[in-house]
Amino acid sequence: MIRIQGISKEYRSGRGRVQAITDVSFTIENNNTVAVFGKSGSGKTTLLNCLGGIEQPEKGKITCFGVEIHSLSEKALCLFQRRNIGFVFQHGNLLSYLTVYQNIAFPLALNNFDKKAISNRVNELLEKIGLAETGPALPHELSGGEVQRVSVARAMAHTPQMLLADEPTASLDTDTGRDLVQLMFSIGREHGCTMVIATHDPEVINLADASLPLRDGRIEKEDR
Amino acid sequence: MTFKNLKFWIRTALVFLFRSGRSTVTLSLMVVMAVAVLIFLSALAVGINDTMIRNSVGLYSGHIYGVFLPQSLDTQRLKIHGVVSVLKRISIPGILSNGNTIETLTMVGVDPAAELKTTAIWKKTVSGKFLKNGDNMLFLSQDLADKLKVQPGDTVRFSSGLNKNQIQFIVSGIYKTGIDYLDRGIAFCPFEILPVQKHTWEAAVFIREGVEPESIISEYRTLVSGSASFRSWKEMMPDLVQLIDLNYISMGVVTVLVFGVVSLGIACAFVIFILKNLREYGIMKAMGATPQEIGCLIVVEVILMNLAALSIGVLIGVVLVFIASHSGINLTYFTSHNRYFVVSGVVFPRLTFFSLCLPPMLALFFSLASAVWPAAIVTRKKAADILRSF
Repeated sequence: MIRIQGISKEYRSGRGRVQAITDVSFTIENNNTVAVFGKSGSGKTTLLNCLGGIEQPEKGKITCFGVEIHSLSEKALCLFQRRNIGFVFQHGNLLSYLTVYQNIAFPLALNNFDKKAISNRVNELLEKIGLAETGPALPHELSGGEVQRVSVARAMAHTPQMLLADEPTASLDTDTGRDLVQLMFSIGREHGCTMVIATHDPEVINLADASLPLRDGRIEKEDR
Repeated sequence: MTFKNLKFWIRTALVFLFRSGRSTVTLSLMVVMAVAVLIFLSALAVGINDTMIRNSVGLYSGHIYGVFLPQSLDTQRLKIHGVVSVLKRISIPGILSNGNTIETLTMVGVDPAAELKTTAIWKKTVSGKFLKNGDNMLFLSQDLADKLKVQPGDTVRFSSGLNKNQIQFIVSGIYKTGIDYLDRGIAFCPFEILPVQKHTWEAAVFIREGVEPESIISEYRTLVSGSASFRSWKEMMPDLVQLIDLNYISMGVVTVLVFGVVSLGIACAFVIFILKNLREYGIMKAMGATPQEIGCLIVVEVILMNLAALSIGVLIGVVLVFIASHSGINLTYFTSHNRYFVVSGVVFPRLTFFSLCLPPMLALFFSLASAVWPAAIVTRKKAADILRSF
């Protein structure tokens, strides 16, 4: 279970202090999928970053699968992230110097999987995302849809307990976006992964077990 | 961090360096050039020192000069391991006259054939020629010749303080070395013509390159007793020792300064190199790479890049030294008035352990030091801040 209790986060920028999220609380049951939606600047990315531990909220508690991640040391938080969390970024954010194969293998290597296990898992995922032949390709040689599929494969490679996806279909056309969503849900559900997806895409919202509307950093309505 | 983990980061660093080839090559070039140039300059400094020593000892005195050696001692006995040759000399004070002009001097009896073979004083002949064994001739300094108003072929008379009889010599040749103690009041003649027999003799000992004169002297002290004494070139020419030390110190300072400046350039280039890859480090952090692992990745990148650059730099430096040490670098134009280059101004750069190792070691040290700044920037920055900026 993931429990968020009253988290708030503000930034300092050239425009002064910006309150990204304010007093957000909700709970996600294991294996559920939650779609977080709202306008640009509503705090979706910040909420996902806080959930993934790559940003620290100023206030509130985040408990993921029994671990209070907001109170972990930096190193313990990194170890928690690498074992339990997979990230799909808006533009894929593949490591540009690594091949498709190496990108998918990266979280496995971080988690000390052996060479054979890495090879089996990467090849299995490449088959699953329909890019079996593109292992040696570099990210810049892929289309936008392919990049996002590799990004999903990388995020799921180490079978994390939680998948966080930040507008994964935003830069894709409708058909490619739909394919990606189906792929993500298929792999995520196959592994019993809890998914939190920030999106504007109505299809994702429909497929999700619950949705979380954000407006100006606050939850408009909780729907579980 | 486990060994398996370290292997993974080393592999990742290699891939990063390889795939950002142009940046890697540009950065490496600075290190390659700095190392190659400094190895060559260090070898050149060693070569200059060698030339000064070779010129100074090779002209006349040898690496070791022994005095008050007993007649019972043979030159062969002084030819111990590390000694190339031993030249016997006998000095007697006296008066040289040409008509009414008289000058005091030290007459040195030598073996002309051996002197020709080992020393370079004959090369400093300004008129006439050097001595021949058995000839009743003198080889004297230009200063003495000018004072006595004699030229090669003229006749002079010599009388020693020990023997009042005057002996007639013909001037064979006149020399000028530019070194005071050789140019004032000295004349040479073959041993056998010396009018006075002394009970002691002197020796100029020439030793092999790399052999310390002090070790030879300590062996001589066990061989020869009595009033005999030996002095190394370092004792005879303390000014040269200082000059050599000064040369090494200034070379060391130049090396450190060059690397100081180069490392600042490398640091700035590293910052650009690392910041260019900042997004990559941010993604890795978001996936759970620890700051220590990211720091390790950056340091490994710097070490790998430097090891490759150092190897190439050392290779280029060694090749440059090899070429120059065979052909020699003629610096006569800059050294012709310098007494430490009286024989030859040709310098042969030579590699020593320090001239070979100091530049790459300094390069590695300064490069690692210059990587601290960009590594600190990346490890302290949060993944979200990095990713938000792209």
